[in-house]
Amino acid sequence: MLISEFGFAFWNPIIWLIAFIVVMAIAYLFRSRGQKKYKRDTAQARIFLCGEEVPEAEQQHIRAHNVYWGFFETLKGYYDKVMKPHTGIVNDYMIWFIAIIAIIAIIFFIVGQV
Amino acid sequence: MLIASLVFVEFLVLLLARDIYLNGLHVYTLGASSPDLTIPQQYMVPVRVILEVDAMSIIMGIITATVSLAAAIYSLSFMKEETGQNRFYTLLLLLVAGTLGIVFTGDLFNLFVFLEIASIAGAALIAFRIRFADTAEGGFKYIVVSAIAGLMVLFAVGLFYAQYNLLNIGALAHVMQYTILDEIALVILIAAFVMKLGAVPIHMWLPDSYTVAPASITAMLLASSLACMYALFRVCFTLYGVTLNMAAVGWTVIIFGVLSMFIGVTMAVLQTDIKRLIAYNCVCEGGYMLLGVGVGLAVLGNPEVLSSYGIAAMSGGIFHIINHVLYEGLLFLAAGALFYRIGTRDLNKMGGLAHNMKFTAILFIIGALASAGIPPLNGFASKILIYESVYQFNPILAIIGILVSIITLAVFAKAFFTAFTGQVLSKYKDVKEAPKSMMTGMIILAVIIVFFGLFPGLIVNWLAQPAAEALINQTAYIGGIM
Repeated sequence: MLISEFGFAFWNPIIWLIAFIVVMAIAYLFRSRGQKKYKRDTAQARIFLCGEEVPEAEQQHIRAHNVYWGFFETLKGYYDKVMKPHTGIVNDYMIWFIAIIAIIAIIFFIVGQV
Repeated sequence: MLIASLVFVEFLVLLLARDIYLNGLHVYTLGASSPDLTIPQQYMVPVRVILEVDAMSIIMGIITATVSLAAAIYSLSFMKEETGQNRFYTLLLLLVAGTLGIVFTGDLFNLFVFLEIASIAGAALIAFRIRFADTAEGGFKYIVVSAIAGLMVLFAVGLFYAQYNLLNIGALAHVMQYTILDEIALVILIAAFVMKLGAVPIHMWLPDSYTVAPASITAMLLASSLACMYALFRVCFTLYGVTLNMAAVGWTVIIFGVLSMFIGVTMAVLQTDIKRLIAYNCVCEGGYMLLGVGVGLAVLGNPEVLSSYGIAAMSGGIFHIINHVLYEGLLFLAAGALFYRIGTRDLNKMGGLAHNMKFTAILFIIGALASAGIPPLNGFASKILIYESVYQFNPILAIIGILVSIITLAVFAKAFFTAFTGQVLSKYKDVKEAPKSMMTGMIILAVIIVFFGLFPGLIVNWLAQPAAEALINQTAYIGGIM
């Protein structure tokens, strides 16, 4: 009931959970050995930015359009091609539908006969 | 009253499921003196409207009933400020009826009728909050795509009726000759259902419509789209079955699956609208199901290979259908909770929301990790079954699946990081947690996700594998009618 087995694959979530709990306990052990004597709500607990004023939360937060910037820049060529059919115009969607009917028909009638 | 009726539907569906697993396939003939009188006296073929429910249909029924119940509970708070609530809940029930009809009917013409019912109700519900500028556009796109797909299905039904004088799926499968007209009908049916389920490259309508619909309705539209995936499988396996050229049809379904996975996830990672991001992820996850069941279809003619890994691939695909609707439903509901509280779907405008919406953040992360296939959640259990079985069919397909899963994790890392982490933005300092009924709807789905993740063997053995075997067993489906 707990175990899922197929071929050489074996998956038991309970073993995974036990391992997870052990790792969390070790992590907690390390954390508990950290410095506890700092003073809350003083400069000790605030962000230090080389003496500069720390910007507001709005300015600190990395926005969604900046996340994975390098990934999109590297794959610019791919994204230019993939974005092109996403016009938002329903007429274009129907053209794609007709094209897909034609492609499936070609596959079934020509390749399927082989 | 609404919730009570949906709880009753859930109860009836579970009761029917129990009966099907104990006694096998169920048939109900509407208007007959006895429900199992499929062929009236003095007739040679079935002429009445017949519901035929096997292990595959009932899985879809359970999914639809569960998601509808969670969505309806969620709607109580989410739609509280909207006018015309009577009409909203009437349409919601109509969508449930249409979706259940698609998965329970044993008749091709009624499949078209229920498809239309679900489509009209779905379009009206997408455009329901007409005060938002983009809802009408989303509803319009949905109805255009659905109407075209529906008409194509009707055209294919006409081709069958012209040749065989039959509309019943089992009866048609019994006499199927696979003529040139049958082949044309198959092409049209595959294209229509592929468009309705939102597979690449005819998926573009899906993010446009899902994004603007009320969150609870998006979760139900997901169940409705998966009903179209069920219809695709029913047509391929039951209506045509062994008469098909397995390799050509199987590989066609696999190619749709792989394209959906890769293009879906790479488009999702680009999005900055949280619901649009999840919608593209839905396109991607649909690809896994098409891949798993497509492999089963490709090896259907080879019993040895089918039993070696074909059934496992199909079971993985079907298990993923169940999981997908649960975690994507949860993600849409969590995104809806954010919209309800802060009035935007734009991730660029969000930040630090986990400070004030702790439970929504936890529920979102459960859905996100399940979608990315992180253990011990349900998405991992179905994905590993797909990887393992598909690897034996073609290793490259399994590698693509794993790569896509890694990018899915990146998609939700982006969404979670930008919406929930960091310092709380000053404009969201007073934001409150989502209302209780919305939390209840989300918790129902989250609990099932965790349960299915912890007991994958139970779900595979009792739900997914019998469903895969029911799909393969064309003779049993025909025997239920003839």
